[in-house]
Amino acid sequence: MINTVNILRLIAVIVFIVCAPFIGGILDGFDRKISARMQRRIGPKVTQPFYDVLKLFNKEFVSVNKSQLFLLLSYLFFVIFAGALFFGGYDLLMVFLCTSTASIFLILAASSTHTAYTGVGTLRELVQMMCCEPMELLVAIGFYLSTSANKDFVTPTFKVIDLVRSDMPAIIYLPGFFIGFIFILTIKFRKSPFDISTSHHAHQEVVKGVTAEFSGAAYGIVEVAEWYEQVMLLGVVGLFFITSNPLSYIVAALAIILVYFLEIIIDNTSARVKWDLMFKLSWGIIFICGGTNLLVLEIIRNINI
Amino acid sequence: MENYGRNIVEIPLEKLVIVASEERDKGHRLAQACASYVNDKYELLYSFVDGYEMVTYKLIIDTDTEVPSISRICFPAFTYENEMKELFGVKIKGIVTDYNDKFYRIQTKTPFLKKGDK
Amino acid sequence: MSEIIKPKRTIIPFGPQHPVLPEPIHIDLVMEDETVVDAIPSVGFIHRGLEKLVEKKDYNEMVYVAERICGICSFMHGMGYCEAVEHIMDVEIPDRAKYLRTIWCEFSRLHSHLLWLGLLADGFGFEALFNECWRIREKVLDMVELTTGGRLISSVNKVGGLIKDVTPEMLKAMKETVIQVEKELKPVANTFLNDYSVKSRLCGSGILTKEEAIALGACGPMMRASGIEVDLRKTGYAAYDNIDFDIITSNDCDGYARCAVRIGELFQSVEIVRQAIDKIPDSEEVSVKLKGNPKGEFLMRLEQPRGEAFYYVEANGTKFIDRFRVRTPTFANLAPLIHTLKGAPFADVPLLVLTIDPCISCTER
Repeated sequence: MINTVNILRLIAVIVFIVCAPFIGGILDGFDRKISARMQRRIGPKVTQPFYDVLKLFNKEFVSVNKSQLFLLLSYLFFVIFAGALFFGGYDLLMVFLCTSTASIFLILAASSTHTAYTGVGTLRELVQMMCCEPMELLVAIGFYLSTSANKDFVTPTFKVIDLVRSDMPAIIYLPGFFIGFIFILTIKFRKSPFDISTSHHAHQEVVKGVTAEFSGAAYGIVEVAEWYEQVMLLGVVGLFFITSNPLSYIVAALAIILVYFLEIIIDNTSARVKWDLMFKLSWGIIFICGGTNLLVLEIIRNINI
Repeated sequence: MENYGRNIVEIPLEKLVIVASEERDKGHRLAQACASYVNDKYELLYSFVDGYEMVTYKLIIDTDTEVPSISRICFPAFTYENEMKELFGVKIKGIVTDYNDKFYRIQTKTPFLKKGDK
Repeated sequence: MSEIIKPKRTIIPFGPQHPVLPEPIHIDLVMEDETVVDAIPSVGFIHRGLEKLVEKKDYNEMVYVAERICGICSFMHGMGYCEAVEHIMDVEIPDRAKYLRTIWCEFSRLHSHLLWLGLLADGFGFEALFNECWRIREKVLDMVELTTGGRLISSVNKVGGLIKDVTPEMLKAMKETVIQVEKELKPVANTFLNDYSVKSRLCGSGILTKEEAIALGACGPMMRASGIEVDLRKTGYAAYDNIDFDIITSNDCDGYARCAVRIGELFQSVEIVRQAIDKIPDSEEVSVKLKGNPKGEFLMRLEQPRGEAFYYVEANGTKFIDRFRVRTPTFANLAPLIHTLKGAPFADVPLLVLTIDPCISCTER
């Protein structure tokens, strides 16, 4: 069935696939610039990340294991697919399951080389997944419950297309989930306190951890995939604020910028922690913020019924 | 205090291990050990430190004399002994972690042994 | 089950080219999962044999070789050599020269410790703090350059005193610099000592008890952080016997204690420089004329920023010295490093390597 809504959804998907790397790259550029200014340096140009990635693609691809490239392309594919599902307005639960699948491919690609540093890196990446995954699923469930608590919805839904038609921004129902989600964003963006499996600078014990064995184009693919993932995750941040009112899109954009700035501040004011502390902190936050919020939502839902 | 640098006691080879264990039992710290090659003989120096006081034991031996390692008595001696062995070719036996002349990655064997042309 | 299943052991080669290491040192880490069970260090990638040069260089020229042992500890290496030869020749240098040596010693301690703090911050991934430390360090280096003519390798020492004197304006500028440094250092020190994430990395890592420190021959801040009150500046070389200062120690015995001791020493250095500038006597001469050649042997001990350094000089009465030996603090701290690495998690390895403040080019004269 072809109608205007479906065409709009298709356009959104195409716009995401084409523009996300540029948005991600520019955000990365601003990240570097602002970080540099926070450290009282001048910093590179905002467009520097693009030059970096272009240079990576021009380099010779060297790998000990041919399957690495295939696994990395699968990683890129699933990240793009997850983003396309999200911006196309499909099931939020599906989106998060797709990102998990993508991370599995990244881990497989990394461990295909069997070196010491990636070995440690992949183990840590698995711990990171363990820290992020519960919150991601909780966010999806939170949105579902918010629709069931909201009287505007006849039936509760996971679908992004329906969530953006709400009269009330989801943040009203989900403040705890929002805090928890911002917390795991620090892990997802590989920012300073939690950049244990790989980081944007090689100055750490596992060198570059998961990405240590990727060279040239392979590493370029990882960078691009990270940009896609960043845009998708920031989209989820925006989803907390979007309602049927067109003005809410501006509010969402502002919220995204604020959240991103907050991540840069956290990155520049903390030391890298060890994996056990990361685990305790993230599960603690998930249980306290997410759990409390879930409880309150359940109560509201029961009152409504 | 200023005179610690001249407090050098000459001891015979047999007493080295005894002196080292005595110093360790007194709770003194092995601060340094080094070799030098003077008048075709090795001079081995072992300095033990107690706070600001220091006593240095000097061993004068021929080039082919075997010296027992004191690294089983004072663990930190192993670095110094490996160094002596590699740079001067002092025959030290029984070092805890013996690098077998791979402590420094240098091409010449015992580079400090032969006298430079003056 | 009859026997306990042990995790598979792997060996991780750490260094010589590793991003957190400023200089080439190689450590083979035997790992069980993420825990280090054994560590075998090896140095020697850049051994230069500078000690051997003493046989070919005039004993006056050797000062410059001694200074080039290392860039960071440069001033004190030159000074250690000079003091050892001066002791052999029984030379008493002018008081003004003694005070100036003290001041420059403290300046090198300031820039060495600031360098270390920066590297530590970088080691646990705190880039903003790293940049801040090195920015303060620049001020210190600029002042060293202004007064000696060289940023790192100053070459102002000679056997029997100093090559050049400083003007009263320079002394004033030095004093202003240290006051400025102290002011800028306070927030940085506060972050190192009180930040939650920094403390989570440093507290309880790499325990070295007092007994172990003695048995393993630790030296310098590493030893003082284990509660041993030894600071060789108290032996009164240069003008330290006229300066009032306390030894900074800590009883925590961990990485945090080592960081705290070094930060305490930074503030102490500032205080010593101020005292020395206040007390410095006016005189025309900063060096004495030497008579004859050295004959005899002497073991000089100095408190380098990184710990206790030895300078052994054996002279035979000619202008060439028989044996010049430098034992640097890093060399002594290798054994404690191995001890602290055993049982540590892999994430702590770079920090533990850094807490001994390794200076590899010193170690491989």
